[in-house]
Amino acid sequence: MPKRRGLSRSLPVLIGILFLFILFVVGFISGPLGASLFGDLGLPSWLSVPRPEPKLPAEEVFQLFGFPITNTLLAAWFTIIVLIVIFFAATRKIKLIPSRLQTLLEFAIGGLLSFCQSVAGEKNGRRFFPIVATIFLFVLLNAWLSLIPGFGSIEVITAEGEHVHLLRGANTDINVPLALALVSFVFVEYFGLRSHGLRYLGKFINVGQFFRSLGQLFRGKFKAGLSGLFNGVIDIFVGILETLSELIRIVSFTFRLFGNMTAGEILLLIAAFLVPWVMVLPFYGLELLVGFVQALIFAGLTLVFVTIAVTPHHAEPA
Amino acid sequence: MEAEAIKMLAAGLAIGLGAIGPGIGIGILGYGAMQAIGRNPEARGPIMTNMILAIAFAEAIAIYALIVAIILALIA
Repeated sequence: MPKRRGLSRSLPVLIGILFLFILFVVGFISGPLGASLFGDLGLPSWLSVPRPEPKLPAEEVFQLFGFPITNTLLAAWFTIIVLIVIFFAATRKIKLIPSRLQTLLEFAIGGLLSFCQSVAGEKNGRRFFPIVATIFLFVLLNAWLSLIPGFGSIEVITAEGEHVHLLRGANTDINVPLALALVSFVFVEYFGLRSHGLRYLGKFINVGQFFRSLGQLFRGKFKAGLSGLFNGVIDIFVGILETLSELIRIVSFTFRLFGNMTAGEILLLIAAFLVPWVMVLPFYGLELLVGFVQALIFAGLTLVFVTIAVTPHHAEPA
Repeated sequence: MEAEAIKMLAAGLAIGLGAIGPGIGIGILGYGAMQAIGRNPEARGPIMTNMILAIAFAEAIAIYALIVAIILALIA
């Protein structure tokens, strides 16, 4: 076959770029930017995207025994079903020379396990792996599945007669990140208490130095007592700060995940509205990356905090 | 000034001023990470992991500001 040189080698690329350019021009003209520049050209309505109205609390689709089922809950159920089906299908007949799906999942699980072990050490990494990996996979699939066409475009009419989207990314409902943050908080505190006993609470209620110095004062050693008293007050204050920082962690986890996901959703909606066909594509790539990074951050920070809680810290002098 | 105008202005200021700090913070983090990789290219893995972790902390603050701006502009 003769060597393809010159223009014929790059011809498919040129055709692709031309196609994208035509799509861009069509999208620009039919979107709101073109409408404000050229006026109403009477293009078919399927070429333009309706103006997005992001509503922050998740909308309810139907009621089940008086319990409101929102579209984000449906999306979360969808994620759970997808996860269960994938893992069930890959582990049905486990072979020593794995099939393709099994290889993919072995890669994912092995990567997560080595990540846990690199942060928390060998034994602890294996111990913390289930919850950390579950949080990672749940957040990741919530974020990635919400990019599938169908999320946010299928509309149903509820019993009250409102037009509501059927599915919406589960991470954009503040309840899902809040629930995961509470799970991670309980996880950290449980493992801290389990490995240190009640001495773990001594990190937060640090009154030992204070009372010891009071005892010293009563026994007559004024100078040592007073400086010890001062340090005791500082210790109590640091204990209160530690408690506050543990509780603030819940808020920070929640809003980090919720903010990233909601901002990404609004960004995609606005990008699709401004230049309908083409401008969304780079933002889709950004959303894929952000979903992966946020899942990694959530699981990774949980892992780091539980490692800190479990590590014996004999730093305080007796 | 009507409430609508001030609301829009507040939304813009919230995210605009709120993103200055985290932007500078993430830049400083990146600078430190680049320097560390330059000195010790073999430690690239752990340095990158720790950098991403620290950037998430800094970015969370910008996300708080974004939430305030979104609530102001779209809901309140």
